[in-house]
Amino acid sequence: MARTKSISKNSNLSKYLAYTFLIVLCVIWAVPLLFGITTSFRSQTEVVSVGFRMLPVDWVVENYIATLENTSTAPIMQWLFNSIFIATIHATLVVVMVSITAYGYTRLKFKGRDFLFFTLLGISLFPGVVNLIPSYKIIDVLGWVNTPWAMIFPGLAGMGNLFLVRQFMVGIPKELDECAKIDGAGDWTIFYKIILPLVRPVLIVVFLFSFTGSWNDFLWPVIVYTDVERMPVTAGLLLLQDIYGNYRMIGQLMSSAILAIIPTLLLFLFAQKYFIQSMNLNAGIKG
Amino acid sequence: MKKFNLKPAIFIGPHLIFFIVFGLLPSLYGIYASFTQWDLVSDPVWVGLDNYKTILFDKDSTFSYQFYNGLKNTFVFVVASVPFLIIIPLLVAAALENKGVKLKGLFQAILYVPGLISASAAALIWGLIFNAQLGFTSNVFGMDIPWAANQPYAWIIILILTIWGGIGGNLIIYRASISGIDKSLYEAAEIDGANKFQKFINVTLPSIRFPLLYTFVMTTAGCFNVFVQPLMMTRGGPNQSTTVLMMYIRDLAFTSGSSIAGMASAMAVLLGIVILIISIFQYVLMMRNSN
Repeated sequence: MARTKSISKNSNLSKYLAYTFLIVLCVIWAVPLLFGITTSFRSQTEVVSVGFRMLPVDWVVENYIATLENTSTAPIMQWLFNSIFIATIHATLVVVMVSITAYGYTRLKFKGRDFLFFTLLGISLFPGVVNLIPSYKIIDVLGWVNTPWAMIFPGLAGMGNLFLVRQFMVGIPKELDECAKIDGAGDWTIFYKIILPLVRPVLIVVFLFSFTGSWNDFLWPVIVYTDVERMPVTAGLLLLQDIYGNYRMIGQLMSSAILAIIPTLLLFLFAQKYFIQSMNLNAGIKG
Repeated sequence: MKKFNLKPAIFIGPHLIFFIVFGLLPSLYGIYASFTQWDLVSDPVWVGLDNYKTILFDKDSTFSYQFYNGLKNTFVFVVASVPFLIIIPLLVAAALENKGVKLKGLFQAILYVPGLISASAAALIWGLIFNAQLGFTSNVFGMDIPWAANQPYAWIIILILTIWGGIGGNLIIYRASISGIDKSLYEAAEIDGANKFQKFINVTLPSIRFPLLYTFVMTTAGCFNVFVQPLMMTRGGPNQSTTVLMMYIRDLAFTSGSSIAGMASAMAVLLGIVILIISIFQYVLMMRNSN
């Protein structure tokens, strides 16, 4: 009797400890974002004269209007459009290429297939920092500096997603395609009708991570875009930090930051289960 | 007569071409360029080991100062940030395993979302938090400090930004691994009279040692490439005390008057070697301990 009592007391204590830890952490994690949002609705006069307040005295949208109207030094709508264009095309091409290539490395029979795959995988573990400067030179030779292609194509060389999708295709029983082969189906039919539907959930995760990865990339766009009109929003924010920061236009800095994070937040809201599901994919391989 | 089979070329060929052009070629050229004097425009001129000699041994040269200072600052960042990026998500995952805790999805989403925010937008938002007039720290906590201009505060704001946006990925891996642990292991430990803490140490941690190893190696290697956080929060200051090696490499190759890409490539190769050695060292160390 005493023993069960002490156990339940113990588990209550651990429950409260867990709650306290989680709530404190979540408050610290949420406050900057919320404070950034409320500040984006403060007027410039309030920012310079009233001083610190949690909430704006008057909620105004002037920062957003001013941010959107600036189409010369910090054209944020153009940047957002550039980012959406780059990330969407990039993620789509990654999904197409990765699924076709993974089919080749799992279903086609040719000499040295697995050796080739693991050689590429080994080479890809080489630290990427060495690639940076020559990659710029290659993009320059191709005439892609200051074009969307500079961010769309190089990432297609990646091995991480290919490894993930290949693992899943290896797990699909060969009997499925053998049955189809007996019925006279060719490789493209098997790929399209049998394999593709089965790896769909993985491909969605690959799309989402390629999209957000491309959207949030910073070092590479800062290097390959010098033309203000052509850069994606992450690189644009670096310019904007100087432009608005020098005049202490905190409200406009915040409205720009909020505009820049809305697309990925929306993506998370609509596809939350896939982002969280990705953990099962990861654990399946690494566990 | 055996016909050449074109099909594999169609399926794997396109990726192979991209891999060669944007993966293999830049790696090889990056190593080659480190032995040259190169301005990114004309052809590189072979100089043998000169770049390495200057960087490693010529104490009077700015390149040597930049390399050692950048490497030191990168190490400071890695050593200070990696433990937090492992331990905080691990504790969160453990707390979320507690059966009495509700709203798990909400907690997880709040901690995960900053990882989807681009670091440059996050830096603007945290810049406001640490702003002297309007910021949270000065007005709510009364910490009237010019954060970016003083040490150790400059490092602290860089670390906070990094940890805020960096725990989501590892959190998700740990949660998945912990939920996959065989429940009978916990029951056996319970019969032996283990409390929650002992169960965490003796059952949970050993059971997830492979995901732990994986995240430890990947997080460390990722942190060595640090760039955006110090650039946006401190611009490398005060007195270049937060200027990391990636910032010097980028400045030398892309923003100084005439590009010094050969020297920058040599620094990149040295950083790459450091990352490789440390990854291998971590891997061997953890493998040995787990047996």
